[in-house]
Amino acid sequence: MKKAILFLLILTLLLPAGALAQDMPHAGVEIVTNFMQSGTYDIGAEQLEAGFEEATGIELEIVASPFVVLVQNNITDLATGTGEFDVISGDFWIGSVWGQMHPLDDFIERDMWGGSFIEGLTKQGPSAYFDGNRIGIPYSADAYGLIYRTDIFEEAGISADWETWDDFIAVLGELEMHLEGTDIAPNVFAFGASEQAAAIFLGMYDSYLVDADGNYALEHDEAIASLNQLKSLLDYNPEGATGLSIDEANSVFLTGKAATMICWVSFVRAAAQDPDSSLIVDNWATATFPGPGFPFLSAWNLFISGYSENPEAAWEWIKYYITEDEAKRRFVELGVGSPFLSTYEDPELIETYSHDFPAMVENLNRAETVPWIFAAFEVFFRHMSEFIIGAATAEETLEATLTDWAELEVPEGLVQSAMAQGQMQEG
Amino acid sequence: MPWLVLFVVPALIIVVAVQFYPLAYSAFLSVQDWVLTESQRPKGFVGLENFTKELADDTFRRSVRNSVYITGGALALQMTLGICLAYLTMGASWRMRAIRTLLILPMVIAPVAAGTLWRILLNSRAGLVNHLLSQIGIKGPEWLASPDWAIVSVIMLDTWQWTPFVLLVVGAAIASIPEDLLEVAAIDGASRWHTFLYVELPLLMPLLLLTLVFRMLESLLSLDSIYSLTFGGPGYSTYTLTYYIYTLGLRSFNFGAAAASSWLFMIFASLSIGLVFWYQRRDW
Amino acid sequence: MKRQRSTKQRTLAFAHGFILFIACLVVLVPLAYLVINSVKLPREFLTVPPTILPSEVTLEHYRDLFEDSKTFRHFRNSLTVTLWTTGVTIISGTLAAYGLARMRLSARILAGVTFIFLFIRFYPRVTTVIPYFLVMRELDLLDTVWAIIIGQLGITIPFVTWLMLVVFQDLPREIEEAAIVDGASVLQRFRRVVLPIVMPSVSAAAILTAFLSWNEFLIASSVARRKASVLSIAVAGFVSDKGIQWGPMAAMSVVMIVPMIVFALFAQKYLIRGITFGAVKG
Repeated sequence: MKKAILFLLILTLLLPAGALAQDMPHAGVEIVTNFMQSGTYDIGAEQLEAGFEEATGIELEIVASPFVVLVQNNITDLATGTGEFDVISGDFWIGSVWGQMHPLDDFIERDMWGGSFIEGLTKQGPSAYFDGNRIGIPYSADAYGLIYRTDIFEEAGISADWETWDDFIAVLGELEMHLEGTDIAPNVFAFGASEQAAAIFLGMYDSYLVDADGNYALEHDEAIASLNQLKSLLDYNPEGATGLSIDEANSVFLTGKAATMICWVSFVRAAAQDPDSSLIVDNWATATFPGPGFPFLSAWNLFISGYSENPEAAWEWIKYYITEDEAKRRFVELGVGSPFLSTYEDPELIETYSHDFPAMVENLNRAETVPWIFAAFEVFFRHMSEFIIGAATAEETLEATLTDWAELEVPEGLVQSAMAQGQMQEG
Repeated sequence: MPWLVLFVVPALIIVVAVQFYPLAYSAFLSVQDWVLTESQRPKGFVGLENFTKELADDTFRRSVRNSVYITGGALALQMTLGICLAYLTMGASWRMRAIRTLLILPMVIAPVAAGTLWRILLNSRAGLVNHLLSQIGIKGPEWLASPDWAIVSVIMLDTWQWTPFVLLVVGAAIASIPEDLLEVAAIDGASRWHTFLYVELPLLMPLLLLTLVFRMLESLLSLDSIYSLTFGGPGYSTYTLTYYIYTLGLRSFNFGAAAASSWLFMIFASLSIGLVFWYQRRDW
Repeated sequence: MKRQRSTKQRTLAFAHGFILFIACLVVLVPLAYLVINSVKLPREFLTVPPTILPSEVTLEHYRDLFEDSKTFRHFRNSLTVTLWTTGVTIISGTLAAYGLARMRLSARILAGVTFIFLFIRFYPRVTTVIPYFLVMRELDLLDTVWAIIIGQLGITIPFVTWLMLVVFQDLPREIEEAAIVDGASVLQRFRRVVLPIVMPSVSAAAILTAFLSWNEFLIASSVARRKASVLSIAVAGFVSDKGIQWGPMAAMSVVMIVPMIVFALFAQKYLIRGITFGAVKG
């Protein structure tokens, strides 16, 4: 007995030292992680910095850069093999350097790491893969969405129930009749933020984005039809809608001047429920994003750079940053869309967000990313913007886009992602 | 003499060290096929293909055209306004000094900040400019959403920010014209306008030309302000040559094409600088 | 002999005053609006019609800025970069210009040198940003203020050298000849005789260099990441994919602009006297 007590005593004495050696295998290692400077993801990381350093002994450096600078830094860093960043924030925009990322499968398997991710988000596309290996893990999730005024819909006896854009546009027609004589528009969208309109196009367009030869392409008839349908939304928008920025479109909806709005829901969620900035508190809800296309997905992934000297320590940070609790906290405090289903099923949150969550999860589950590198996106949205302001026809727009696309090559990682998401022409 | 050589050395070392390699490298890139998102290394020598491709490219041509409109408009406005204001603020009274100081302020603002500030001012619905216009009964245009007005907006921003520079240089030049010259003209009975036209203008001409070329190249090169004001849009409406090169190089990572376009720009810049040299040589 | 001012003269004086008044308004209103925006509540942005006088003045944007330790770092970095760039540029540029002007080079060579310097001042930096990034990486200078300073020197030194070259060329040699007779060395001659005369131009060059350096964005954003980040990058950081954070951005702009305005106020007399590019000859 005495011996046993002595043994236990020694054991407890040894435990802290042992624990130290065991839990902090990376003590003293320095790693650099980057985020977009947005006041959300980066702040969420800064809030964790001290706790992470204390728990692991790893010295963490957080670099926050504006969006374009972040993308530029990531691509130059990886393509030139500089290795300045250990953990990298990105998504398909940096698809051209996915081949330089560290595979994560071994880490995930070894640590049996996981969580209640929304199923759609764990698939290739929303989660980054290269050559069959998982390379990125999403820490945010936002799908292009559609929000509407519950009070107006109820008053008009219209239900927010649609499957396709045809259905939705029919609803807009009904709303227009109902709202005649008021200064409320059936719909509002930030047509002035030209890069945004691509999201609606993707929702309408139901065909391939990459042709059978692996080049950027669009199916002619589908593309023309979608472009025209996209432009027909202008009929239901307030006057001058082609000039509306995101902030302005949001303010149109929040001041009650539109019955529906197509937008990133996360940009308005908090403001719409804040009486200081919104006249429509409790009078709005998120709806299903119409098809037959998909809701455009924004899901930031964390990657480990293939040039990192400390991938193990980098992995520790990823595990620390992407947790269900943290995702929920970031959702509540910073408005970052969570990739975890648990956030949307959280009893506390459901109560507050009953108008928002069910459709949001459905949209997220259907959401896809695009195989576009920035150059591909740039020419598309600019030509489309010319079309929207009436400076080009749909045919001209498509032709100009395809001509410019012929100069571009789809990076291997994005071909794979297009294939996995069914965005490739069968051939 | 050795001292004089020594004087030149530090500047020469810095300039050669900092500029020579990148410039030579960009010359090398201009004849290479290299898109960083496709390959980590240049794919090979392509001769002048990058150049011919660019010259035939619709977007390139359109960017050049936009640059010509924007820079042309902005220069015409700021040279005229700058010269006028320089004359109107002549004198050493405290009031004129104060006004001059005030008028040069836009010049010190970071172009990024100035662009964003004007973006909120020119907002079609919630912008101050259209609000003020509506106060005097004018319905303001869609500044940033209409292709033509977007170009006007960029011209306005450049004029607002850089007329002060013209004012500054021309003001300094006027102040340094010897008084006796003007007095002689006055005694000869020349009117103020004639004095300006036949005495001052010829004296100022080399400087005005220099200022013009200086402002022209600066305006053609401006990137931050267009980036934050219109983002090149709507569509390609305010896509300038510099913006185009920027997108090619740092967003599309098409280094070959970006370098070739840059060198096309540089050829133009060299010609402009050469023009000033030629003019001054003839003059002196 | 006092004359009655004619109606025409009075009209002219009025027009003169009126034009200047309008010019001042055009300059001041946007600046005032920027300051107003920096103390506006978030909900008062993008209202229709615009909120000109905020219902309540808030210092929250400034408080947030100054509570963030990064703001101080950005400010310090901007200051370091500007001081070094300006200092090194003025010393080396002025010396080089003097050397070139007095070396008795043939006109053709001089024109060639001037041309190269001007050319280097005016080419699209975008092209050389990536090679420059790679060089800085090799030298292990990435994310240091030195990378920004060295990059900016490549723009400012050629410019100042050119500016001062014109000034020195216009300076009559006779002024220095007395000093040569006295047996003064080149260095003494430069310091005691030449420099005092061209000081206004040197100051003007310094001020223009400082403006450029303080506001420069492209080079800074390509080589600075975190430790070396400067104010111009910070201002651009408020433009995110969520739209623009107008309030904080306005506050940051004000923080960035105020030092330059104060500087411009103090330095204005040098500016006015100094930059004629030597191009006016009486």
